[in-house]
Amino acid sequence: MVRSLSVRYAFAVAKQSRAIRTATIVANEAVCREHLRITLRRPELPPSHPGQFVHISPEVSPPPEYPAAQGDSWHPGEEWSAIPHTPMLRRAFSVAGLRRGDDGIDIDVIYRVVGKATRWMASLRPGARVSILGPVGTGFPVNESKSTAWLVAGGVGLPPMLWFAQALHEARKKAIAFCGVQSADLLPLTLDADATPTNDASEATLSAEEFSQHETPTVISTDDGSLGYCGHIGAALSAYHQANPIDANEVVVYACGPEPMLEFVSHYCIERGMECYVCMERAMACGIGTCQSCVIPVVDDCDPQGWRYRLCCREGPVFPAEDVIWNQPAKR
Amino acid sequence: MSPEAKRTGNVDLAVNLAGIRMSNPVMTASGTSGYGPDFAEHVDLEKLGAFVTKAISPELRKGNPPPRTVETAAGMLNAIGLANLGLDRFVAEIVPFLQTVSTPIIVNVVGHSIEDYQTVCDRLDPIDCISGLELNVSCPNVADGLEFGTDAERLENLVASVRPLVKRATLIVKLSPNVTDIVQTAQAALRGGADVLSVINTLRGMAINADLRRPILANRCGGLSGPAIKPVALYCVDRVYTQVARDAQVPIIGMGGVYDWRDAAEFLLAGATAIAVGTALFVDPTIPMRICEGLATYLRERGLTSTRDLIGQLG
Ligand SMILES: Cc1cc2nc3c(=O)[nH]c(=O)nc-3n(C[C@H](O)[C@H](O)[C@H](O)COP(=O)(O)OP(=O)(O)OC[C@H]3O[C@@H](n4cnc5c(N)ncnc54)[C@H](O)[C@@H]3O)c2cc1C
Ligand SMILES: Cc1cc2nc3c(=O)[nH]c(=O)nc-3n(C[C@H](O)[C@H](O)[C@H](O)COP(=O)(O)O)c2cc1C
Ligand code: FES
Repeated sequence: MVRSLSVRYAFAVAKQSRAIRTATIVANEAVCREHLRITLRRPELPPSHPGQFVHISPEVSPPPEYPAAQGDSWHPGEEWSAIPHTPMLRRAFSVAGLRRGDDGIDIDVIYRVVGKATRWMASLRPGARVSILGPVGTGFPVNESKSTAWLVAGGVGLPPMLWFAQALHEARKKAIAFCGVQSADLLPLTLDADATPTNDASEATLSAEEFSQHETPTVISTDDGSLGYCGHIGAALSAYHQANPIDANEVVVYACGPEPMLEFVSHYCIERGMECYVCMERAMACGIGTCQSCVIPVVDDCDPQGWRYRLCCREGPVFPAEDVIWNQPAKR
Repeated sequence: MSPEAKRTGNVDLAVNLAGIRMSNPVMTASGTSGYGPDFAEHVDLEKLGAFVTKAISPELRKGNPPPRTVETAAGMLNAIGLANLGLDRFVAEIVPFLQTVSTPIIVNVVGHSIEDYQTVCDRLDPIDCISGLELNVSCPNVADGLEFGTDAERLENLVASVRPLVKRATLIVKLSPNVTDIVQTAQAALRGGADVLSVINTLRGMAINADLRRPILANRCGGLSGPAIKPVALYCVDRVYTQVARDAQVPIIGMGGVYDWRDAAEFLLAGATAIAVGTALFVDPTIPMRICEGLATYLRERGLTSTRDLIGQLG
């Protein structure tokens, strides 16, 4: 079967942004152990969709008046230096929320501190400025004819689902969020004291504020059993599914998180004939499709070996689950 | 000079690269700006001195598995594995786009045998919109597994085999810094018939994740680029210029860690006629235009009128 991927993607692909923009930080606070929520404000932003990401780095642009208006008093020796001290390359973060207000557009990013760039981000205070490229990439496609969406998030795959839940609610879809983390203290959500998550995953409850404000019930799992279902989120998903059968043609599954979890959810859905999309991650450099860093192997019936690479930054990060090849093929 | 003249006095940024007329000395470095169409969504290609494409080989290459890049101290490693869409698709899908661009286009050429380089050059040389062919010689020869660019004799042989096929375009040879003495390979490239030398390609390097006890790149090692390599690149340009290129009157394209106009000025002073920006484009694709503005101001402030007044002018 020869599929035209580009047609299937078309409706979710936003025109790539043409500009590097400066954003001002309005908040940067811990949401749980190791996770922070940073809010970046911009006067304007191109149309954006849940599933897209922003590519963040320290501010690189010189002041707008550079260099002419500085005239006589300007000396090359005192020049701004484009070399950011730390980090150098941009880093990708899913947009976790977007609000248009009187003071501009606020972009939420939820991030886990894992290395150089995220440590730098954690050190930023309100008023500081960062450089952003985007939002870029494909968003989650929404199937008009299906009533229900299951959002499956593992660990730091949760952020894009928050904004997506809002969009689905506005589109009058029924959504359920499945959130899996290692332990309760790594869950970047505000739990409702009255509605505890079930520990057999038989039921989705309005237990996490960030989702329940969009009328999206949640199933929560932890690897250590400290909250909700004890086990990985794929197991919680199948337990829920068993307790709550649904017509496969009514539901679309969207997954974001570590690759083994995405692989599990993909196989689970494909075996049951459920439409499924995965939001992938790769080490990136450019974020705009020019450096070829961020390749994902996908099925390609036109290729003699049956597969090819697609770019996570430009042709992703959201891919149809059945396209992704989970066992990385050998070189060339 | 009056303050007014310092601000507005005309400076001529144009340079001539062995027949390639560039409106300014700043170009992109191969592999960091794609083939053109994607990059053009973010940058006006017309404002570049020249645009250099990602390497093209005769056949499509899928390249290395990911991860292919990782940030290191003041730099990055890449092991893309020369992934490219191959000669046929390049000609069919990309050349029509490049024909709409008036900026000089330089195509980076790669192969695993002399025949590979010949195939690509022979096919691309007659295409009008391609001003230059740049041989990426930092690639192992399948015949013996050794890089063309690290041995003077092998390099001369490669360049001489390609030279007769490049009749119209400017033939550029991109030197590898992974050699004992870059002067030797520079001389070899000129004996083979190179019109221009690009200095330098990436330095071989490696990054290790101590927690996982594994190399970070799937390819184990990669090429180091960015500010970390600038001193090495300047040294190579200085050596090649003073020992070979100045007397032979062969222009140099200097590259390696160029981020701002000051870096560019340093390369010009060391003897480069043009400079290429690579890794910095990942931070901001419009850095080449900023460099042009900064260079113009720098020249004006010193009462100079042309980029050419800087080239090789080290005290
Ligand atoms: C499309 C996309 C969306 C993302 N969304 C989010 C998000 O919403 N929140 C969030 O916290 N993170 C997100 N990430 C991951 C984020 O980009 C990395 O955590 C970040 O680059 C780490 O940078 P660092 O310098 O702090 O860590 P580094 O020092 O670069 O690395 C620390 C550790 O993280 C691993 N790592 C580095 N880069 C990546 C990467 N791109 N993907 C996976 N592992 C990586 C390294 O192998 C290493 O083990 C996203 C990545 C992509 C590609
Ligand atoms: C991701 C990446 C891909 C590259 N691909 C090529 C290539 O295809 N051919 C080539 O000759 N050089 C390639 N290079 C080397 C650059 O053109 C340049 O010589 C080198 O990166 C030094 O410049 P910089 O420090 O400004 O990046 C690549 C570099 C990077 C970072
Ligand atoms: S990050 Fe450069 S091509 Fe995707």
